[in-house]
Amino acid sequence: MGSLDGLHLDLDVFDGPFDLLVTLILRDEVDLWEIRVSRIVAEYILRLAESEEFDLEATSHFIVLVAALLEMKSRRLLDAGSPFVDELAELDEQAAGEELLDSLLRFARFKGAAARLGCLFAEHAGRLYRTAPVPPRFLRAASAGPALPAAALAGALAVLLAEPPAPDVSHITDIAVTLVAELRRLRDLLAAERSFTFSAVAPRDRLQKAVTFFALLELHNRGEVSLRQPRPFAEITVTRTDTPGGADGRPDDALAAVG
Amino acid sequence: MDDITRCLEAVIFISPRPVATDELAAACEASGELVMGALGTLAAEYSARRHGIELTEVAGGYTFRVTSDCEAPVERFAGARRPDDLSPALLETLAVVAYLQPTTRAEVAQIRGVSSEWALTSLVERGLVDERGRADTPGSPILYATSARFLQLFGLRGLGDLDALESFALSAAETDELRARLLANAERRRP
Repeated sequence: MGSLDGLHLDLDVFDGPFDLLVTLILRDEVDLWEIRVSRIVAEYILRLAESEEFDLEATSHFIVLVAALLEMKSRRLLDAGSPFVDELAELDEQAAGEELLDSLLRFARFKGAAARLGCLFAEHAGRLYRTAPVPPRFLRAASAGPALPAAALAGALAVLLAEPPAPDVSHITDIAVTLVAELRRLRDLLAAERSFTFSAVAPRDRLQKAVTFFALLELHNRGEVSLRQPRPFAEITVTRTDTPGGADGRPDDALAAVG
Repeated sequence: MDDITRCLEAVIFISPRPVATDELAAACEASGELVMGALGTLAAEYSARRHGIELTEVAGGYTFRVTSDCEAPVERFAGARRPDDLSPALLETLAVVAYLQPTTRAEVAQIRGVSSEWALTSLVERGLVDERGRADTPGSPILYATSARFLQLFGLRGLGDLDALESFALSAAETDELRARLLANAERRRP
């Protein structure tokens, strides 16, 4: 079992397994801005410290995913090429103006309410209320004694403490593509064909598509392919570079460099 | 004072928190109507400036508090300190939580246009906002709501005492002025 399996995160905006978080981010159902990546890393380090075995592949996988999250987050800070900015560019100027005005008007209400709360606070916060605790002799007497025998209570608790049956997750499939496998597949494709497009080789699933994309970036970093994209979101053309130690005969465990 | 009024006085005096009318009725074994009448009598008794405390309705119940002219000696005696002032950012965040509760951090940030993590944490630490479970939405984010302490510090009987949010809406003239400023800004930035 990889160390990523069952990595449970309890963050302010997300409570669940790490894999699910990544999926929700990719589907834009959880806002990446709201996720503190440092908390995820801290949770993982804690888990590593507790784990008796060190799974190099899973740890490498985690580093790649976290690096991707950081990259996505930092890209949003940049104007050029940011999907957010592109979205804005597509927005009609008039509609954008009205949207901004609506947001400001909505915020103005809360700002007015905040000012009113400020007045109430100034008026009332200093008031001194009765806070002394109830004297012990006035407290309601502790339970007069259990009305049920201990065995009945134990029986009732046993039902509550019993492990519920595990939910059927047979319909959920694991991520079938790992980065290592994807690197291998892309190298095979490059050996057979000098050039192809990203969409021609990427799987349909978004997460698997992301793995393919990371694999292409890895190949590009290693100088094995050149990538060309005429404009943002346009088709990416992948071309094999015929440098020594290129697509042929290279050790295929690229993650060794990461781990 | 009649017996029921004296009973109410005793229960409210001994309770460290505001006591709701139904709790008073149960404790005094009296009807709600009788309790409301007796509360009126008690409030009148304590509002006649014969006492250093007064009866007040706050945070969903009735409690005694020190009259404002007697606060100084009590503060000297008990070392009571007024809670720290709230910054505009904290008040804004509190306003969003108060009106939209239960709400999530993302919703607060969306309305304020900035991350509100620190502000929410600070409000939780001050006991003004509580966590109230998790939302049934993707990621199950934490839900936040205001606390009984919030009502007490702001002198509110309940959330119903909050002014309607719409009463803080900008007037038509202010809205037009804001729109004109946005348009002027857009014109200036046009290449």
